[in-house]
Formats: sequence, C-alpha cells, structure tokens
Amino acid sequence: MVYYTVVCMRESYEIRNHLRRHRLLTGEMTQQELADRVGVTRQTILSIEKRKYNPSVGLALRLAKVLGVPVEALFQLEEDEEDG
Amino acid sequence: MVESNKRSRWRPSPTGMVAGSLVVLGFLLSEIDWGFLAISAFGAFGPGILREMGILRDRDEFQLRASRRAGNHAYLVAGLMAFLLMAYMRSVEPGPVDPEPLVTAFLVVLWFTWLLSSLLAYWGPRKTASRLLLVFGSLWGLFAILSNVGPEYQGVLGFIMALVVMLPFFGLAYVARRWPRIAGAVLLLVSVYFFYFFGLYEIFTDPLAMGRPVVLVLFLGPLCASGIALLCMKIDDEEGAEADEAS
Repeated sequence: MVYYTVVCMRESYEIRNHLRRHRLLTGEMTQQELADRVGVTRQTILSIEKRKYNPSVGLALRLAKVLGVPVEALFQLEEDEEDG
Repeated sequence: MVESNKRSRWRPSPTGMVAGSLVVLGFLLSEIDWGFLAISAFGAFGPGILREMGILRDRDEFQLRASRRAGNHAYLVAGLMAFLLMAYMRSVEPGPVDPEPLVTAFLVVLWFTWLLSSLLAYWGPRKTASRLLLVFGSLWGLFAILSNVGPEYQGVLGFIMALVVMLPFFGLAYVARRWPRIAGAVLLLVSVYFFYFFGLYEIFTDPLAMGRPVVLVLFLGPLCASGIALLCMKIDDEEGAEADEAS
C-alpha cells in the first residue's frame, strides 16, 4: 500500500491528440478561429496541439462539437506497456 | 499543407491594464503617504482574489491552471525562504531591527516566483525568455536615456550609450528564439558576471543587506531562471511552434 501511494501514483495520463489534423481538415481553420469558437485563447489551442496541456472534459467535448467529430477522434489514451 | 494563420498581436487585457495602473498609482502616491501602498496591493492581488471568488471571469482553463500552478510554486519558494530567514534571524545576535527590507524581499520573492512560473507555463521558455529580455533591454535603455537628460546631459554620446546598453538584451532576445541552448548558456554566464559585478555575494554574509535581495531577485532572477529554462527545455516540444505562432 505504501509502495503504491509513494511510487505508483500517476501524476497524469499520456493523451494522444489529433486536434491539429482535424482543425486543418475543417476548411483549414486557424488556431485563432478555433479558439474564438470554443471560447479560449489561441495559446491554449497551441498548447493542446503541442501536447503541453490536456484539456478538461468540457473543453474536449466542445472542441469535438465545433470540429464535428467524436471526442475519441480527437483524444485517445496512449496505451503503455503496463496496461497493454 | 500551408497554414494560413491570421497574425494577431499580443495586447494587454483590460483587467491587466487596470491592475497595472493601480500598482503604479499606489507606488507613485506612496511618495505622499505610505498608506497609499494599499492601492498597489489591491492592484497586484485583487484580480486573483476576484477570479478565485468567481466574480472575475477573464481567463480560460489553461491560463487558470498556469496561474494556480505558479501559486503553488510561489508558496513553496516563499515558505522555504520564510523558514530560512527565521532561522537566520534567530541565530544571529542582535537580530535585525528594521523589518522592512525583510518584508520587501519576501514580497518580491513571492510575486516574482509566481510571475515567472506562470509566464513559463503559459508561453514556454523560448517566448518567455525572449520577451523578458526585451523588457529588460527597454528598461535599461529608458534608464540610460533618463539619466542623460537635465543637468546630467552628456550630448549624443549619452544616447549612444543607451543604445549600447540595450543592444545585448535585444540581441539575446533574438538568439533565444532561434538558438535557445546558446542563449541559455549566455544568460547563465551573464547572471554569474552580474552577481559579482553588483557585489551580491555579500548576501551570504548578510542576507538582510538593504536592497540586495530585491536586486538579486528582480534582476538576476529573470536572467538566471530564463537561462535554466532554455537549457532544460525540450526542443521537440517547440518544434513547429514558429509556424503556428501568431504572436
């Protein structure tokens, strides 16, 4: 139990995202345009695309809605050896 | 596929402008009475308090996360500093009589840690270092120009000196965007140089030396922290960033 809480707690999950690809497929929408439509800053879109930031469930769903794709098409949990 | 991003320049938010104005106003009025410094306090901390209360909603979730993470960093650094200073004060005889430098240093460390951490989280090392250097260069240039007006006027040479002072900062700002590792190494070397140039090593024998902690944090802190951030950053993280950047 101690080992689990001290060593094995997961700080975050690796999330693969295809936001950039889907954004460009949607009429080559710019980062600024997408940011305006979901109500965030362009820097936030940039950080998500660069995988520096994992959005909240709410923002992920909003992005999926604006881009017209299911949320799973945008964000996927990266399978690691442990889970695999 | 060529991306056709609109170019949108960074501009300060209305909240930032109001808060910044209050901070400056408080400091200016403190020349009349130190009580006016309370206005600066409201300018510096008011927006954050209003955001946490849910009254002010001018930040998105990424900005809030950067800000809260920076708050945690500031808590850790300022908390550590408070304990170290307490240990120092209790161990020397007689203890310091004037608490003002201590409070000022503590406040500067708290604020600076929060600011730098939130900038690094929001913009990333490359853009943060570059913009910090531009601000530093401009301030040094302004300082050099102001010291060349009035009775201390030295002719055109004075203004040329101002340019000479500004150029290394602007040059490094450019290098930081193109070659972050080189800029990082140079920034660390510059920090070491200024550490000795300003005689800041005296802080080790007298941590409460008037003004020294403030100079250390406000001048060397940004240079040193930017240098370390640039040296430690993952280049892969920022690959392609230039193509996407609109600011």
